[in-house]
Amino acid sequence: MNYKSGICTFCGTGCGHLLDVRGDKVCGVFPMQNHPVSKGRLCVRGWNVHELLSTADKITTPLIRKNGKLVEASYDEAVACLVDNLAKYKKDNSEEIGFLASSRSSNEDNFLLMKLARSVFNSNNISLDSDPGHRNSLDVLNRATGMPGMLGSLEEISKADFLLVVGIDITKQNPIIGSELHFAAMKGARLMTIDTRNTQIAKLSNGFLQIRPGSYKVAMAYMAKVLVDENLCDVDFLKRYTEGFEQFSKTLAALNDDEVAGKTGLDVEQLKNAARDLALSKSAMVFFSSGISGFDSDTIGYIFNLYLMAGKIGREGCGVNPVTGINNLQGSYDMGIAPDLLTGFQSLSDKSAIDRFNKEWGVKLNTHPGKSICESSGKLKALVVVDHDETIVRNVNEISKMDFVAYIGSYKNDFVNYAHVVLPVATYAETDGTFTNTERRVQLAKKKLEPAKNVLPAWQLIAKIAEKAGAKWNYASPADVMAEIVKLTPNYAGIAYDKLQAMGGMKWPNGAARLNIESAPRKVSFAEIAGGLSVPLASEEYPLLLMIGEAQHYWHQNNLMKKTSIPLREYNATLLLYPKGYVAISPQDAKDLNVRDRFTVKIVSPYGSMEAMVQVTDKVKPKTAYVAYFVDDMVTKFFLEHKDVLKRGEDATIPVRIVKV
Amino acid sequence: MYLIKKSQVMDIAKELQKEYELYGPVIDKETKQTMFVKADDAAEIDLNAPIPAIPPKHVLFPNYERIMSYKYDRQNKKVDIKPDFDEKPKALFGLRSCDLTGVLCMDRFFLGQEFADEVYKNHRKNMFIVSNTCIAPFKQCFCVCTDSGPAAQEGYDLNLTDLGDQYLVEAGSDKGKKLAEKMGLAKADDSHKKAKENAVDKSISLFDSIATDNKAWISRVMNRVTTGLIDEKVWEYIGNQCIECGACSFVCPSCTCFNITDPITAPDEADRMRTWDSCSYEGYSRMAGGHNPRKPVEDRRSKRFFCKLSYSQAKKYLRPGCVGCGRCQWVCPGDIGLPNVVTYIRREIQK
Repeated sequence: MNYKSGICTFCGTGCGHLLDVRGDKVCGVFPMQNHPVSKGRLCVRGWNVHELLSTADKITTPLIRKNGKLVEASYDEAVACLVDNLAKYKKDNSEEIGFLASSRSSNEDNFLLMKLARSVFNSNNISLDSDPGHRNSLDVLNRATGMPGMLGSLEEISKADFLLVVGIDITKQNPIIGSELHFAAMKGARLMTIDTRNTQIAKLSNGFLQIRPGSYKVAMAYMAKVLVDENLCDVDFLKRYTEGFEQFSKTLAALNDDEVAGKTGLDVEQLKNAARDLALSKSAMVFFSSGISGFDSDTIGYIFNLYLMAGKIGREGCGVNPVTGINNLQGSYDMGIAPDLLTGFQSLSDKSAIDRFNKEWGVKLNTHPGKSICESSGKLKALVVVDHDETIVRNVNEISKMDFVAYIGSYKNDFVNYAHVVLPVATYAETDGTFTNTERRVQLAKKKLEPAKNVLPAWQLIAKIAEKAGAKWNYASPADVMAEIVKLTPNYAGIAYDKLQAMGGMKWPNGAARLNIESAPRKVSFAEIAGGLSVPLASEEYPLLLMIGEAQHYWHQNNLMKKTSIPLREYNATLLLYPKGYVAISPQDAKDLNVRDRFTVKIVSPYGSMEAMVQVTDKVKPKTAYVAYFVDDMVTKFFLEHKDVLKRGEDATIPVRIVKV
Repeated sequence: MYLIKKSQVMDIAKELQKEYELYGPVIDKETKQTMFVKADDAAEIDLNAPIPAIPPKHVLFPNYERIMSYKYDRQNKKVDIKPDFDEKPKALFGLRSCDLTGVLCMDRFFLGQEFADEVYKNHRKNMFIVSNTCIAPFKQCFCVCTDSGPAAQEGYDLNLTDLGDQYLVEAGSDKGKKLAEKMGLAKADDSHKKAKENAVDKSISLFDSIATDNKAWISRVMNRVTTGLIDEKVWEYIGNQCIECGACSFVCPSCTCFNITDPITAPDEADRMRTWDSCSYEGYSRMAGGHNPRKPVEDRRSKRFFCKLSYSQAKKYLRPGCVGCGRCQWVCPGDIGLPNVVTYIRREIQK
């Protein structure tokens, strides 16, 4: 049959699809009906993935920059160029070499890149983008429970009575998870949304609390306080399975209703009711964004602690569930794509783990923790980048100053303009590889067609680089790579390619639908909260609170979507309406400013300014504004000016003044 | 009317494969999903397979297709345009009557109006269609409400009906008759015709107990959709559930909207690609000047159901655009497949 099964490559949901493959072309796509996650559904991106796979905008030959121009080269020449240049900076602890990995790469490709960085070039400077969102979630969950991943699962959404969605436009970011939540609500579960904007999932919810930007943690802390005050905590559960409750509950005592109402802009009665619904439900889950714009650790900590107090962790239909925006974000962390991590969230400072890696790889690993590219502050001289859409924009200054940049990827993008060497690799449909979705589900996407002439899959290319640099790796297939991953990664135990052949793959650890609280080696601890409950404040000078996020069809810089036809048209439809990008404000603020839809305005903050067009919508509350980042000028300039603020993720809120131009 | 033994019914497919590319319902071994696809071997086709997830629409109107390529000769300032038509003879074997009705709707859209679509015409012109009567409905079926089943009325070359140990083979065209004669099929008589009528009656009677997913009593709803007398709140309720994925259009046997793009393939060369499009997308109805008459999602949704369920559109197709297959309900991330929308509207009428 010409329809070949596979896993969608866009978001962290991990939907099953069938690609219509004819010869060397992908001519269509169709959803997989029996897939355990997507059950026959796809979103706008998934329904048009074949257009991306058919684009002529692929990199088809290795390129080397000579006299300022990229010229065609052989793989051997390009690999030699890469290895020679990195060798210049190689030391026992190669602080000047960096690796920027991709959260779209397969587990195997990421694992090998990590191995290349650490064991061949002695560099621990390996990271994903600057986005801290998912790392924050994993840190909080790992510290508290020992499980660095979603504590519940998507397959149990239908078993939850109470579903809370916090600060995620989920029907846009992960539409099929949004669909599952909607179906659960239609069948009788109570669906509750807390968000700064009136999103689609808010409209589909039984209850919606439109919160003031930057104050999610206050709402979560207050809900936790309600559980304490009204004796709604699951006391038996707390005693049996947890530690640190007393200490945490003490920190809540100081919260008072007026302060909460002031900071969140909510009626505290509504928060009280939400807390009661949560406590009195039999099973409950919470979903929050964990991708490019995730929460800060404290907000995640409060969410976790709230659910722990209600006893809604480690039971059927329960869980604290960070939702990844990119298909293999979870898998990337599983593969140790972070300066301080080995695979399976093992720490680089964990001696026994290091010993295991040293033994398996026959090396002595450099154990000085590295730095991610956004923390490197100009130290990096050479950078290897894999398949990236975005970082070039955020870190353009640092990257353009580097002595050597290599780009490895399937599709052309802005990075190519800064690269000294460009190495093409096969697309995800052209090689075997596994991807770990947001619920820890490791799925095998099988090779469905041949790559363009002479183009290697990334796992082969990375092995070739390692070999050129003097290492001896022997992988006959990605299955071999997975076997090594499993050997070195306790939470991937039991995973193997022959088991992944079946539809839906297998969740780590051991197929678990959720955190197993009974067999946990230690008690679950309450998350530590580092900071206070201050919220960003508007002032007379900067009266509006500006929020940053993603709009439909627009992902990051959208390098991928721009290579399609239908999603590109959708992108352009908005771009043509708002060529300078848009800032969404409420009808009331528009009236006060004396502007109408598509009027140009200037947004001024204490750090910088930009021009954008107004989108008047009742999705945002008065005195708040929303910018979706998809226009180059906006991202490069304004966001660079606000880099530090934006590190705070979803709750990043900038007080601004908007003036008519 | 002819007869063929059950054990020999696939001989028809094998016979067709001599002259045609053979398409039919194939159950994928790995995913257990039925797809209406090209069969390299007639034995892959399963006449008893459930209604295919993908309708045969893509055989005549592919998901993503090059329809021409062009090359500009700079020196001579000449453009060389090459149409890319696919006129290979194709046989659709084991089509369900809903899907055949979908093909007829497409015929009327692409061929039955002022302009005939050459690309479609080439796909369609050498086609042989063997339909298969549904002797029992599937869970999501409601073809009895849309007058498109359980047995095909027109448009087939041969129609098969399972009569137990043999199939009744009805010829709907000379082409069909010729094939039946060539294969030397036994003649059927009135008793077999009666047996088919009984089988169809029985199938209809089974809808109550088997086709439990969807009920779409569309006639009264058609009246409302045509006159527009539907409370805006109903459309809003429907629009709120639409995540704008386009799936309903893509799986619909009668949806025909497409978009055209011209990706550049070389410095002076480009292809013209035709790709499925959906009225659920915002950019779909945006006009060149920037105005969008159907910007809010609920307006786009109401448009789709107007297209499927209004008298004015029915004039175009000579029947309702909906063929009662129930696929849009399968793939919808909201709960607004056509049969559900009909239910929502009926609920409002009853109020």
